Formats: sequence, structure tokens, C-alpha cells
Amino acid sequence: MVKAVPPWLRIASGLFLALTALFLLAPLVVVIGVSFSESQFIAFPPNGLSLRWYEQVLTSNVYLSAGWVSLQIAILVTVLATLIGGAAAIAIHRRQLPGTDVLATALLSPLVLPTIIYAIGMLMFWSAVIGPIHPIALAIAHTVIALPYVVRTTLAVLAESNPFLEEAARTMGANRLQRLLYVVLPQCVPGLGAGAFFAFNISFDEAVLSLFLRGPTLNTLPVQIYGQLEFSPDPSVAAVSTIMIVLTIVLIVVIDRMLGITKFAST
Amino acid sequence: MNAKLGLSVVSLAALLGSTAIAQANSLTINSFGGAYETAHRECVISPFEKETGATVNVVTAYSADAFAQVRAQKDAPQFDVIHFSGGQEIVAAAEGLLSPIDDTKLTNAADLYDFAKAKLAAGEGPAYSIAAIGLVYNTEALAEKPTKWTDLLKPELSEGLVLTDISNGYGMLGFLMLNQVQGGDLTNIQPGLDAVKSLLDAGALVVATSPEIQQEFAQNGALIAPYASDYAFTLRNAGLPSGFQAGEEGTPASFITANLVAGRDNADLALKFIDMTISADAQACFANALRYTPTNSKTELAPEVAADVAYGEAAVAGLLRFDPTVIEANRSAWVEQWNRTIAQ
Amino acid sequence: MNDRTENLLLALPGILLLALAFLFPIGQMLILSVSGPDGFTLAPFARFLSDPYYMGVLWRTVRLSLIITIICAVIGFPLAYIMTKVGPRLRLWLVIMIILPLMTSVVIRTFGWMVMLSRSGIIPQILRDFDLVGRNFALMQTETAIVIGMVQVLLPFMTLSILGVLTRVDGRLEEAARTMGCSFLQTVRTVVLPLSLPGLVAGSLLCFTLSASSFVTPNLLGGSRIQVLAASIYRSVTSAPDWPFASAQAVILFVGILLVLIPYMKLTGGKNG
Repeated sequence: MVKAVPPWLRIASGLFLALTALFLLAPLVVVIGVSFSESQFIAFPPNGLSLRWYEQVLTSNVYLSAGWVSLQIAILVTVLATLIGGAAAIAIHRRQLPGTDVLATALLSPLVLPTIIYAIGMLMFWSAVIGPIHPIALAIAHTVIALPYVVRTTLAVLAESNPFLEEAARTMGANRLQRLLYVVLPQCVPGLGAGAFFAFNISFDEAVLSLFLRGPTLNTLPVQIYGQLEFSPDPSVAAVSTIMIVLTIVLIVVIDRMLGITKFAST
Repeated sequence: MNAKLGLSVVSLAALLGSTAIAQANSLTINSFGGAYETAHRECVISPFEKETGATVNVVTAYSADAFAQVRAQKDAPQFDVIHFSGGQEIVAAAEGLLSPIDDTKLTNAADLYDFAKAKLAAGEGPAYSIAAIGLVYNTEALAEKPTKWTDLLKPELSEGLVLTDISNGYGMLGFLMLNQVQGGDLTNIQPGLDAVKSLLDAGALVVATSPEIQQEFAQNGALIAPYASDYAFTLRNAGLPSGFQAGEEGTPASFITANLVAGRDNADLALKFIDMTISADAQACFANALRYTPTNSKTELAPEVAADVAYGEAAVAGLLRFDPTVIEANRSAWVEQWNRTIAQ
Repeated sequence: MNDRTENLLLALPGILLLALAFLFPIGQMLILSVSGPDGFTLAPFARFLSDPYYMGVLWRTVRLSLIITIICAVIGFPLAYIMTKVGPRLRLWLVIMIILPLMTSVVIRTFGWMVMLSRSGIIPQILRDFDLVGRNFALMQTETAIVIGMVQVLLPFMTLSILGVLTRVDGRLEEAARTMGCSFLQTVRTVVLPLSLPGLVAGSLLCFTLSASSFVTPNLLGGSRIQVLAASIYRSVTSAPDWPFASAQAVILFVGILLVLIPYMKLTGGKNG
């Protein structure tokens, strides 16, 4: 940097960061606080101090099995959405297919419709064409709504990439597959990584599609939490969330150690 | 790492194949979650599993959500038995989503009060519990116990009054009763809407789900709410000073029904489940656990439980039932008028 | 194999998935909105468009989404910019600060706000202590509550969008501007802001779209008295139930979003990432 940042600006930035952190983290702090509450009610600041809700959550397998189901679906969705969305983004970026713009817009359209309409439509369609609802239907629906994120992040990265690299590879004799695997794909990686991250989150956190597309043996964590809040809200919900928050922090630190989070998050 | 990967592949395969495992000897039903589901399991589901050796899969959802799911799945229903608490069985039966029940197939049907089994042939399942709608109030904060529906209109209560949105079944009945004491009826809900409007202007609150009522009583100083007797009991169980008082002008009743879904292949097992649901034992269990009013005339209750519910033929006959077919016919229009009235 | 075949093969899974698992189900749902008992009808649309109440719901949805998007941009841009300037240690913490909420269930975060904003919640309590508001003041069930909750949900999306573009901006451009005598603010205005425009535009599109179609947060924080279109659609599906009208509302929401987005995209010259 040529000139130092003026001091008032440093102070203002510090203040701004502190306020933003307060705002972004406040609901999480409340949730963590509530989870240690002794009373049956959800109140903040909590009344009394106890670990009873953690005991309840960890000894009941409702949350654990719901969490396990959510995790499996989210992993499947992440893989599907990243592969399908990434490939589509490459094709869109090259702009050689007729109707590229239509395709690009269509791939983003799941963002615009409220999921309740999609949920009912998918349930009707699946029941009419395929039969009883099946966990794969939920995975497919999640993939559809996760797709726009992958396409968007991959396109953003490709837009910044060097268009002549592929050309150069061709002149030097690389075949189609080699160009795709060794030239285009590596350029996409940051976008794919960010897209995969979003896809995982979308699936892991989605409640409305899961509420309507679940079968008798399928209960995801958000639906379990939503249901608990709707029927008998007690601090156990907060305890589950606190456990998830802690796991998230651990995950972020691990990713940072392994890959360097800033690289990963900056796409 | 490889072993772990293998394990998750296997369990993923199991997850994806899970509907294939759901065989003939299992039922899929809905329950309402929370304390209701706990009682449901204890009173009906577990005894049923023990007696028949069948497995019961439970999906928890509010009646309105469950109804939307059943309706969208018309071509390949997943539920065998569906429970409704908001009158959805009337629409569902009219749309052919439910299967008529031959009452000779239910051994306990003979013991039910007549009103609870009136529409079996039309596809509306038997009512197995009744929730009485009246005044749920804070016994510590209210010096004077409320006695009538018009007490809701007292200006000093307005800021502590919690109304329930009519998208909720209990909310609908509470509203219709308020409408009635204000001089309206099922052909004219304007008096009720006017009352709601002025109550809201005076500081009353509208919530959409029962947990919000609990939240209001627990945290935000709610004084009174027109709601169901069983919920007053739930609040009391949670340690809140709450009581239930039937309004002098009448007590609207909300029926909870167990319905047979059409187009499923193990109707006999499902009927057995419904039969068990309406048995005197199961109903006594529901009354003990949640203070629902039984519909089986043979149900025997301990005095302290009986005091909290409408017990016996005469008491049950005194319950007021707004014509559910009229409610269903007008529901969409009423919801719209209601939304308009409460909109800010 | 020629280029076109290769690209077709790449796009095919996406096209198939979209057609079979999205357009068909949605199409069948949307057809409901124009099918009355006697064939084709536009009655549900007429009902919506001729009714001031529903038009008010639509207007509130668009208005709140715009406010939410603007607030996200106003906070998100400096946040992303500061993140490119700080040391790696602090940057890691800032990334955690942004990703942590993103990875916590929306239902849970909303519920955190419900606890804070209700009548006896901590925020009205503080305002009351300073005598800024009356005894019965609550933030729950107000438009303000929806805006607060939604900004918290969407700010990470906006910040990450801008950050993605900013980290690829050549730092020497800024230095050049400073050496040529630009003040700090001038540099930001004339160099950084224009360069980060694609990220800002992409982030705004995402925020606007997501806030216009989201249901959980507005429904829980706004309550039944302050409805947005997605909540109204949910009610038409479940508690009314009136599916043709629900579908008509979805179509109107879709068109409403497009009407706002298309001029915006034209205006910003397709710099939407």
C-alpha cells in the first residue's frame, strides 16, 4: 500500500466490524444461551443453568437419526448438483449451443418460485408418474434447487478465466477429454468448491420440500426442528442447534487447516 | 477411511431402498407431534404394535399440512390412516381421498356416541377425541376468573388477550363462538370480524400456532386466550399457572377423527388400528394424558380427570358443534375476510 | 465429435433434470391456475389483481425485498472490502463470522430473533429502559422484524458474492489511483466500486430473489397480520385450501420478480457474474 489508511478510517472499520459481528451472531448467541436454560420455556436470558436439554437430545435417537438422514441426503445432493451444475455451466460459458441464454435463465428459475409450490407440484407429479414417495424424490428436488448456486459460482469463475488457455492446449495437440480434464476443470475448481458448499447447505437446511416430500421412514433434521418448534417448543431445539454450531466451527477450522478457508470462501 | 466410506454407501443404499422394505405388515399414519405424539404412541400405537405384530410408521404434521400431502399424493397415497383435527376429513371425503368405513368392521363402533360415527359411510372417519374450546387464562394474574365469552371483550384484558389465527382449527371455532356471542351466525361473520378488529386495535395479539400461545403465557404476560381445554392442561404441565373455563354461552367442540385413506392395500390392518383408536381403553388413556373428551360411551375416567373434560352422554350432548360442512364450504372465503380484517 | 456435441453432452444432465424434475411438476401445478371447472379461466388472476388487499401483499413483498437488498448491499460492500484488506488471521475470523450463520438452520436463527424481538425480549426491553418506547412495545409481528431477520439471513450471500470479485481485482490499480493523488474515498468510488460491480449486481439479484420467495422467516417474524406473498401462497395451499389461487399467486410472484429484475439487469449491462 502506498499511503497508510487514515486513523479515523481504522476506528470506523473496527466499529463497523464489531457491529456487524454482533448483528450476524446475535441469534446464534441467543440460541446457545437458551440451550443451557433450566426451565421448559424458551427465554433469553435463560432462567437457571442446566445441561438437561443436552442430555435429552443426546439420549434420544430422534435427532441423531434425523441428522444422519439429512447428512446423507446433503452429501448425495452435493455430488449430484456439483457434477450436473458444473458441466452445464461449462457448456453455457462456451456459448456454442443454441438457446444458451434460455438454458442459463431456466437453470436459475428454481430460485424464484416459492418452494411450497414446487413441493406440491413434485409430490403430485411423482405420485402420478412414479408411485409412492421415495427418498430419492427428495434428493432430486434438493438437487434442482441447489443447481442455480453451482451454476452461478462456476460461471462467475469461468468469466474471469483465460479463454486462450483451451485454444493453446488444442494447438498443442490435447484432445477433447484432455482439454476438459486438464485445462477447463482446474479453472472451475474454486467455483465448484463454492457451489458445492452452497449445495450442501441448501440441502441440509431445507425444510419446506422435506416437509412435503418425506416418506414414512424419512425425517430430516430441519423438519424435526421445525416440528418440535411447532408442537412443543422447549430448549432441546436450542441444544441441537448449539451442537450443530460447534460442529460447524470444527469443520471450518479443519477445512482451513487442510485447504485454507480464505481461498475456498472467496469465490 | 475405506471402511467408513463403505459403511456410508451401505447405509445410503438402505436409506434409498427404505420404501421397498415397507411391507404388508406395516402401517403409515400421521400424528401431531410433541406431547400429542407421545400420548398417541402410548395409548394406541404401541398397544397396537404389540397386539398385531405390525410396525407403525409415524409422520408428524399439522392437519392442514397433512391434508395437502394426502391430496397431492392422490395417485399413490403413502398414509393408511390419517388423523385430522380441523375438519379436513369433510373435504377429503368429498374429494374421494378417504375410503368409506363399514361400521360392522369396527368392534367398538357400537359404543361410540352417534355423532362420532354419523358419516362413516360417506368416508369421514370416526371422531375419537373432542377438544372443548373455552377460555384459557392465567390463574395468577387474573384476580377474577372469567366466566363467559363476552369477558374476552373487557378492555382491561385486551393487552393480554391472545387470539389464534383461523388457519388453526381451534382458532376457527373460537372465532365463530366470539362471532355468535356478538350476534353473528354462520351466514354472517361480520360481527365477529368487527369484534376482532376492535380487540386488535386495543392491543390484542394474533398468533398462528399453539406453541406461540405457550410462549405468550410463559414470557410475555398473556392473560387470556380462547383456546382448547387440552392446551390449558399442557400449559399447566409445563408449570404455568393456567386454567380452563367453559364459557357460559356454550362450548364449541373440535373433533379429532381417524380416517381410512382410499387406495391403500392393507385396509383391514388400518381398520384394526382405527378400531383400537376408538376403544374405551385408548380414549381413557388420551383423556388421562391430554384431557381430551372421549367419544366412546364406555370410557371410564377417574374423578379428577372427568372434572377436566365433558364426561358422560349428557355433558357431551351439551357441546356445541358448528356445522362443519358450512365451515368447509366457507373456509376459503372466511380465511380471506379474516386476513383482510387483521392485516396491518 | 464436434464442439456442439461435446457441449450438448455437458449440458444434457442439467437439461434433463430441469425438464423432468422441475418444469413438468411446476408446469402441472401452474396449469391449475388457469383451469376452472369449465375449462380455461383467468378468474384466479382477476381475483388477485382486482383486490387491493392482495395487491398490497404483492407490493409489501416487493418493497421489503428491495429494502432488504439495499441494506445487504450497504453493509456487504464495506464488509467484503475490509476483508480483502485485513491480515490473514482476522480474515479467517471474519470468514467464520459470515459462514457460521449461513450454516446454521434458518429456522433456528429466526427463532433466535423471535426470542429477542418479542414483548419481553431483550431488544424491546433495552429500548424500554431508555424510555424510547411504550410499555407494550414489541418488534415481533412488524415489517421491521422481517427486515432484521432477512438481512441477517441474506447478508452472507451478498458479502461472499462481492468478496469473490474483489479478491480478483488487481491491487495495483488501487495503488495507482492513490499515487496519482486520489484520496481514499475517491479511490473506493472510482476504482473499487466499479470493479466490484459484477459481484454487487450478482449479490443483489440473489438477495432480491431469495427474499421475495422466502417463507419461513417472514412468516415467523411477521406473523399472520403482516403477510408476504410466499406466506400467502403457503396458506392457500394448506389452510384455505385453494390450489388454483395458490398457483396464480406463484405466477404473479414470478412475473413480479422478473419485472423488477429485467430492467435492473439491462441497466447494469449484464454484469451479473
